[in-house]
Amino acid sequence: MPLEQLVHIVSGTAMISRRRRGPGPAVVCVHGAGVSGREMLPFVRELGATHDAWAVDLPGFGRSEKPSAPPTLAGLSDAVAAWLEEAGLERACLLGGSFGCQVAVDVAVRHPDRVTALVLTGPTVDPLGRSPVRLAAQWLRNSVHESPRMAPLNVADYVDAGPRRVLASFGVSMRDRVEDKLPYVAVPALVVRGGRDAMVPQAWAEEVTRLLPRGRLVVMEGLPHMVPYRDPRGLARVVAGFLEEVAA
Amino acid sequence: MRPGKAVASFDSATGMLRALSRFLHDKDVPLIGQGPAAVEPAMSALLGAAGRLPRALQEKAYAVSGWAEAVPLRRVAEIRSEELARWVTGHYPRRRYPVAFVGSSNGALTHLAAAVSAPWLPQTLLLPVRRHGVHPDDPRGDLEATRRAGRALLDANPDLVLHHMHDANQDRLMIAGMTYFRVKWRRLPRAYARFLEESLEPGATLVVVECGLRWPSTRVGPRHVFQHGALGGATPEEYEHGGPRVADYLRRYGSPRRAWDYPPADGERPEAEWGFEPELLGDLEELAGRNGWRLARLRFGEPEDLSPAVADLHRSWHEDRGLPADRLLVECFLLLEPWWALRSGSAPFWTVFNTEASHARLRSYLDAADPYDEIRLVLFSHGVDSVGLAPIDAWRELLARARKVGVFTGVDTRAYPRDFAVLARAHRELARIRTTYPMPLPMEWARAEEFLGKREELELRTG
Repeated sequence: MPLEQLVHIVSGTAMISRRRRGPGPAVVCVHGAGVSGREMLPFVRELGATHDAWAVDLPGFGRSEKPSAPPTLAGLSDAVAAWLEEAGLERACLLGGSFGCQVAVDVAVRHPDRVTALVLTGPTVDPLGRSPVRLAAQWLRNSVHESPRMAPLNVADYVDAGPRRVLASFGVSMRDRVEDKLPYVAVPALVVRGGRDAMVPQAWAEEVTRLLPRGRLVVMEGLPHMVPYRDPRGLARVVAGFLEEVAA
Repeated sequence: MRPGKAVASFDSATGMLRALSRFLHDKDVPLIGQGPAAVEPAMSALLGAAGRLPRALQEKAYAVSGWAEAVPLRRVAEIRSEELARWVTGHYPRRRYPVAFVGSSNGALTHLAAAVSAPWLPQTLLLPVRRHGVHPDDPRGDLEATRRAGRALLDANPDLVLHHMHDANQDRLMIAGMTYFRVKWRRLPRAYARFLEESLEPGATLVVVECGLRWPSTRVGPRHVFQHGALGGATPEEYEHGGPRVADYLRRYGSPRRAWDYPPADGERPEAEWGFEPELLGDLEELAGRNGWRLARLRFGEPEDLSPAVADLHRSWHEDRGLPADRLLVECFLLLEPWWALRSGSAPFWTVFNTEASHARLRSYLDAADPYDEIRLVLFSHGVDSVGLAPIDAWRELLARARKVGVFTGVDTRAYPRDFAVLARAHRELARIRTTYPMPLPMEWARAEEFLGKREELELRTG
């Protein structure tokens, strides 16, 4: 099933998104640092069978146009909020992967009228691991559990974004104190952790959930950091169940 | 025979003794109190690797670990009850206590004692005894092989009652090379009396913990009984007469039998592991009277009767301290963490084992309690797909009752019930919990007494 590819101009920058339009409410996937919506496509294909599923490339990443300024968290989340309007999605559930969770949380806090619910898969960054050395070590430990098929996608993404922007996005991710914002997320939020995710320790995933006023944690056993890529079908089931609960 | 060598390390009473005494020394319980936290990562990796061995090898390793800590048959008569009692009291810090507990083993009681900062002296200890050449499904053979050793143990220790226990359902792996001698003090050992006299304040309360659970058994001789199975997944009737679940279980394990053949039961007696032998009461009353202590009797029918009350007591205590009181820590068998329960502001709910009955108990507690935001579950693994084992999905279902976080703690769900790494990982994961609270000052016993006195499922009488 081919995905629709769409282009929207947001504040003068072309943003690319892919979509599979199922009958259910809209779910927009926001990718991690340095990468793009590519890693979300298997999941979009799965979820699109039942929901209006999207993966968007943030400005500067993947196929989206490159602004001249380096990325900032507020800039990225403003872009997502504006893109939602351009794409004709008045409100949507945002599904973040890794750093995408930080963007999604920022949107939910600063543009609350745009967001119906959040799904945070592998939310970064654990405040106790907030150093480049620790993050690199966690990334290495996690990478052995990821699908080898994901590596070429990552390389393509890094080439698309360019090394400076990739590094800048890691910096943005590390500086953002997501724990300070979580208490202000008013919508229902599902936190998803892969049981073998070395970048998101269990205790941090629990803390994220605790800080979210309407948070709930699901641990998907045996999975690494990139749950949407590794088990798109399983995650689609979890997300569909969550959205059903939210709607009820 | 050194008492520390004679008593089983992997038993409820010892596990509870270690957890509570470590708490009173202001310590948590890494590796179920058997080793320093520093070796926890290595043990966790080692036991995790053992979990990936072929099943037959795993079972063998488990059986060998039990055999290794059991007492050789010929040395059983060297065991002295007075030395065992001294070994027990040696665990506790020497200081003045306003209250102390004596009697039945109970995980909820471990938390209660920790909350009021008081010692507990077990009435029952497990002495694992080596013997070979007996099939696990041959209870009569087990009795015959060890009858004389039992007699010799009792001759040397007139203050003990021996409950020889044979449970081929849950202890299948363990009883391959050893058998379970559970001894109960029917008279108060001098070391217990001395410890209490040296540590209890004037006007203190001595609480007798009396679990009323009884079980079918056969009288072997004076003070010597043979118990048919044990509390857990199978019913007394199933041990006695078999049934489809037992036949299926024995078939799965390649046993030549389809039911167990116990000698005829001639009555019900205090259950070997949990039940209280009331003969001890006289000495306790006398001691309390002589020292001017209040004697309180805490009585309940089954081990888990105490669990909801102790969980609720903790919850109300946390609430009064201004804590969210939204965390439940569900523990199993000897996996106990009183130190972390208080540090994390959790209400502890103890399950006696990983069985359907314990699962049902927890479910009915959750049905009645105000919802918890967070539920953590520690599950013991005994290595056997035994009759009445509650499957992992059933436990998962209960975790889903948590409003926010419902998680297994230290449990490898795919290895259960052969998840031996839980012995290392339960503490390791629990100790990583974020958002912790200062350790509270000990709860006043009066508060606990008033709270427990109002519970219908318990009887607490003073005087």
